[in-house]
Amino acid sequence: MAAADVAYAPPMKAGKAGFEGGMPDVQHRIRITLSSRNVKNLEKVCRDLVTGAKGKKLTLKGPVRMPTKVLNITTRKSPCGEGTNTWDRFEMRVHKRVIDLISSPDVVKQITSITIEPGVEVEVTISDP
Amino acid sequence: MAGRGGGGGRKPRNFATFRLFPRAGAADPNDRVFVRVDNNDYSVPGFADEEAFDSDPTADFHSSASGPLPESVRREILELGLPDDGYNYLSHLRELRPSAASSFVPSSTARPEPLPLDVKAYDASRVRVAPSADELDEGKTICKVAAKTAPLRKVQRAVDPDVARLLDESDASHAGSEDEGLEEDFVIMANQAEGDEEVEEEEEELGNGVFSDIEEEEEFEFEDDPKPRVRRLLDEQFDLLALEEYGDSDDEDKGGRDGDYEMPSEAIDELKLFHNQNVCVDDEYRTPADFVRGKLESTTADEVDESANVIRKCAEYAERYLNEPAEEVEVVLVSESSDESEVWDCETIVSTYSNLDNHPGKIETPGNRRKRLPKVFPGETATTNDIIKLHGKEKLPVDYLPQRKRIAEKEKKVKSAEASSAEKIKKEAQKETKEEKKARKAAVKEEKREARKAKKELKGLYKSETQKAQKVAAVTGPSSIRLM
Repeated sequence: MAAADVAYAPPMKAGKAGFEGGMPDVQHRIRITLSSRNVKNLEKVCRDLVTGAKGKKLTLKGPVRMPTKVLNITTRKSPCGEGTNTWDRFEMRVHKRVIDLISSPDVVKQITSITIEPGVEVEVTISDP
Repeated sequence: MAGRGGGGGRKPRNFATFRLFPRAGAADPNDRVFVRVDNNDYSVPGFADEEAFDSDPTADFHSSASGPLPESVRREILELGLPDDGYNYLSHLRELRPSAASSFVPSSTARPEPLPLDVKAYDASRVRVAPSADELDEGKTICKVAAKTAPLRKVQRAVDPDVARLLDESDASHAGSEDEGLEEDFVIMANQAEGDEEVEEEEEELGNGVFSDIEEEEEFEFEDDPKPRVRRLLDEQFDLLALEEYGDSDDEDKGGRDGDYEMPSEAIDELKLFHNQNVCVDDEYRTPADFVRGKLESTTADEVDESANVIRKCAEYAERYLNEPAEEVEVVLVSESSDESEVWDCETIVSTYSNLDNHPGKIETPGNRRKRLPKVFPGETATTNDIIKLHGKEKLPVDYLPQRKRIAEKEKKVKSAEASSAEKIKKEAQKETKEEKKARKAAVKEEKREARKAKKELKGLYKSETQKAQKVAAVTGPSSIRLM
């Protein structure tokens, strides 16, 4: 009887050719990296992406905030060597956020088709699940 | 890691990285594509951008390499004005979508309209038109015209609305207008004043001009008239004047002049005669009035007469034209200033200035007078203070010379000599004064030391201020100022 049970296979529905069953697309691990010099715009884009992904019920790992990189340039103010030695301190701050999803690439494309603020750079890395 | 083999190294790179870029040539910044950034073998078939990106260029590539472009593409290329040489220029074009940054405004001046097929246009801007032409040799004129004109394929639309309106009107309405010609025939009217002969000539010339003949080089030989322009009243006047000024002095012709001046010609003649003769001044300058009044003798009798005449005539004309009662001629004698009066004296200078400019002061002895305290020597009275005393061999005003040590010493000696008697009495007091002097000097030294200290302190405290001041002085102040 056990053998018969084992042998018994549940009846499979014959679907259309190419129908994979279950999830229609291959799932990938997708990492979206957002970087910008402007925090406000960056946060806005992050929020939009996260809401979009949550709306599609994707497994989401929330925006991980990388430490901001500060690039400094310190120069003499004077074009010549004369005068009091005053220095200018310029800095550029780069902020980075990382969002991890598990979904198909199509869905990701849809999500990232939202209006992106200027100055925000989007990078998508797709990997095997 | 410990478990890894020697030969193996890197982890298998099973990922693909894409970046969002704005689409090349797109007006809309939101039009973005994913572009592959890394070089791994991993392929993501699902990322549809790649396929879309590949299809069009590859299709075009294949088609352009293999055969002619599809008809629709070719038509579009031709419409844009690009040549039809088998290359797909459309790939270099971008679509214009209205966005905030840019909007398409067609220029009013740039593009010339292509000619309709039944019209031919020629550019005749280089053809030269002569104002007058004696003969109309059709053969030659046609050759000349053809040589200078160039065919046009596109005619620029006239920008001026009036010009455009005129161009648009049909030719039929213009047929009769050539006879009417210019509505303002001011040139003809102006020339009618000269005379009939000239008017006829001008009308002929004008008539030729309206029909716009072409200039021919041979025509120049036939033109005898040295003046290409039409002769005017002004030209005649000028000629007359030129003759008068530079020609022979004919008194008779002067009567024919127009009444431009008030003076009658006779007066002018007389004056000219007078001017031509050399009036030499021998000893004294004598005016004609002198001769008239007969006060002075003259060397030449003629001159007397002439000058007398002139004066008389002037008087007469003054009568005639100014309608004043006849009076004796008033002659204003201008006396020449003699040499003596040319030199200014103090009085004159002073009297010509007002006190606003001139502040006369009492002349005093130079400065020392005020610096010195009034000396009261025994034996001196108040009155002697005003006297400047002269001493020494050279009799110099010793008191007022620039300060000299010798004199000062002398004074001191004098003082000390005078006070020597008092000194002996005050010897004891002097010692004290020596000590006092020492003490005083020591005190002064201490003060200076303290001052130096305080200065150094202050300097350190306010170093930032000096830096600021230096910055400002570097820009504005002179470089001689040293602040730090």
